[in-house]
Amino acid sequence: MSFGTHILRRASRSLLEDIYLHSMATGVIAAALLLMGVFLSIQYNLHRMVRSWTRDVHVSAYFQPDVPEQRRFAIRERLSRDPRVAAVTYISEEEAQDWLIERVEGVAVALAELGPGVLPASLEITLRDGEVAPPGSFADLLPPDEFTDVDMGQDWVARFNEFLNTLRLLSAIMGILVLFTALFVVTNTVNLVVYARREEIEIEKLVGASSSFIISPFIVEGLVQGVFGALIAVGGLWGLHAVLVSRLESALQLGVGADIVVLPWPWLGGLVALGVTLGVGASTVAVLRFLSRAP
Amino acid sequence: MIRLYRVSKDYNGIGALIDVSLHITKGEFCYVSGPSGAGKSTLLKMLYGFVRPSQGKLLVNNMDMGKANGRDIAHLRRHMGVVFQDFKLIPKRTVNENIGLALDVLGTPSDVIARRVAGVLSVVGLRGRGDELPQTLSGGEQQRVAIARAIVNDPALILADEPTGNLDGAMAIEVMEVLQAVNLRGTTVLVATHDAGLMQRFPYRLLRFRAGRLEAS
Repeated sequence: MSFGTHILRRASRSLLEDIYLHSMATGVIAAALLLMGVFLSIQYNLHRMVRSWTRDVHVSAYFQPDVPEQRRFAIRERLSRDPRVAAVTYISEEEAQDWLIERVEGVAVALAELGPGVLPASLEITLRDGEVAPPGSFADLLPPDEFTDVDMGQDWVARFNEFLNTLRLLSAIMGILVLFTALFVVTNTVNLVVYARREEIEIEKLVGASSSFIISPFIVEGLVQGVFGALIAVGGLWGLHAVLVSRLESALQLGVGADIVVLPWPWLGGLVALGVTLGVGASTVAVLRFLSRAP
Repeated sequence: MIRLYRVSKDYNGIGALIDVSLHITKGEFCYVSGPSGAGKSTLLKMLYGFVRPSQGKLLVNNMDMGKANGRDIAHLRRHMGVVFQDFKLIPKRTVNENIGLALDVLGTPSDVIARRVAGVLSVVGLRGRGDELPQTLSGGEQQRVAIARAIVNDPALILADEPTGNLDGAMAIEVMEVLQAVNLRGTTVLVATHDAGLMQRFPYRLLRFRAGRLEAS
């Protein structure tokens, strides 16, 4: 019988014999990974949300009334050649007025009473994906003497992003704590598995078994626990996602389902890898700790 | 086979074995005797590599136990059988599996294991009992299974720490007869015991310890 077959036979036998303890270890890994997955999913969706807001926000620049139309078009042309800019739209005073009248009932009368020039002409600047426009951007292209106001639009997104960065830092600290707690709990649960087989390990050592002979089945068991724990966690994440989306959709009557995602596949793969690392690491640590004390 | 040169072992400054020198030749049968705390178990633990000497030099099968690493000790144990008072059998494994473990760790093919296990079961008088679990056997039978596991790979040395301690008179004699038979095949046997009756019935060289010192050899 080859060494590999021998290890698999012993590992599968142990998994069946101590199924309760192995299920407990798998459950602990699943719970830890589910917690980690929820945490990552929240982070990921917040990040996506901010990115999408950044993409949708335009910079609006309002012309002084005395800037001639030719000059306005010239500025538009210069802006559209800027590599950060995806598109520039010129909105005349009339177009702005029509836009407002169309959306706000009764405003037409007020605008007529106020006379022309109430709503300034403007340029709507759409940035390319990933580009941000912090305050002061395009200063050379939007001279203050030709514009009454430049609304960067992204100011609040930037401030929200700063808040999110702080949140990310706190979350990272929490994530590390969760990981260490999980490692601690998993190691102690796996310790029980090792403890249940202490006699077997002692006897194997006494008859001259090599460390690899003793440790290998535990590594396989840890691997199985890690993979199953991770799969349960991933399934749990999908379930939570489905429940959350359906609740939000029924509560808000909005199509948010497509906006909230579980996690991208590489991240889910990472979660499975983390489960395997947890299972194998905890098993190895537990059995090595026991081996160092065994006769 | 075994040489001790002024070997001492202390646990946190308390001497368990003090300045012991002795020589046990290949094929010998020896008793290690003395009252509780005399150092019998410490000597055996040093011989199978669980503890190291604090001072002096201990050679087992020409291996310096003070310098041996984990791999050396594992290798040495493959040529050594160890028998304990509490049998140390795996309750969930059959008699065959318990005995076969000593060959399993060497990567021995399963058909060879089956043949050798059947052979030693005959030697210890348990032929046909291989598929039973240890708890279905009497104490004497369990100890014979432990001895079978110790001899299945034809070791050069058997260390038995109070092998009859949990057994009544008749069973103890059975176990001693098995150990005697093993010794007659050329295996060195070292038995730690304080059973004077057994030592009289099976007279061999006696190493008597008291308070960690070798009193008589």
